[in-house]
Amino acid sequence: MACGSTSLWAGEATWFCCGNAWGSCGSAGTGACGTCQSGKNMAAWPNLSAACWDITRPDLCGENMPRRTCGAVMNVRHQCSGATVCVTLADCGPRTKSFCGEATCCNGACRTNRVIDLTPSAFTAIGSLSSGKLPVYIYE
Amino acid sequence: MSHSQESGGRRLDRRRFLTTAAVGGATIVGASALGGLDAEAAFAEPMPSLDAAIPAAFAEGRIVATNRNVLDVAGSHGERHLIQLTNATSIWKLRTTTAEAIEVGDGLYARGAAMPDGTIAADAVWVNIVNVYVTIRGIARDRLHLTHGNEELVGHIVPDTTTASYLGGALTADLSRTRIGQEAQVLGAWRPADGAIDIARVSLGH
Repeated sequence: MACGSTSLWAGEATWFCCGNAWGSCGSAGTGACGTCQSGKNMAAWPNLSAACWDITRPDLCGENMPRRTCGAVMNVRHQCSGATVCVTLADCGPRTKSFCGEATCCNGACRTNRVIDLTPSAFTAIGSLSSGKLPVYIYE
Repeated sequence: MSHSQESGGRRLDRRRFLTTAAVGGATIVGASALGGLDAEAAFAEPMPSLDAAIPAAFAEGRIVATNRNVLDVAGSHGERHLIQLTNATSIWKLRTTTAEAIEVGDGLYARGAAMPDGTIAADAVWVNIVNVYVTIRGIARDRLHLTHGNEELVGHIVPDTTTASYLGGALTADLSRTRIGQEAQVLGAWRPADGAIDIARVSLGH
């Protein structure tokens, strides 16, 4: 399946690790889909399943994104640099409800609420891990 | 800032310099054509915007040996990586630092350019970096006791380094508003010796 260019969502992208053999990520496992690896361009989506939705509850922050399941692909584009990475959904996340209203900005424009979690491989393709968050547009 | 700089009358982008430096060896590396680099900006520079003829590369794993400026890294899934550091490589280990801070046993993520000999010329290396969703279980003067999933973690508060953000607000050195039971995101550096984390930033949620 190829990544597309139809606008799907916008918000903050954060990062997480999965499948690592080191660090506090060592216990993270391979995610809800059983395929997640930090070294691959993968992502976690808050509406991966009904059970996932009950954990992430993005609707409590006004984010009612559609369901997309394991293996779905998305293009994630940095709001300002335009750098883009194509990711495959492999886990449930982020915990949107815990950070309602949080914003990340660049060039004076902000994106609000955590709407996608990227693996380190995917996140570093469009930004720096030490920033922790990026403002992004998401396409499919 | 721009990440391309003028050198000898022609425009030289960071990635082209990186690969040139890695191929050319110490003489070229030692005479950085770029001069001082803004490390934070360099970390944030996205690789895909650079020269498409040079394939981007990513590596993850644990350092098993170092030889001059080459890191021998064992990936978590059995792969092996040789990571070349140059004067153009940005290095993070709790803060922006230098290659001298990297030790055998450290974990890392590296971004760079794939070289013809199979090595990776690193543009940026993040050493021991972790970014975990936690619940605060205890608060002491110099540390936070945390749970991450079913795992207990100690997060050390590092003077002049650790910052907090409350509900998305500006970063502050004041951690006095942390509360037991709060959910938080901790970005920091894992300590291989004991599994604890030195906290760079804690983002407190609702």
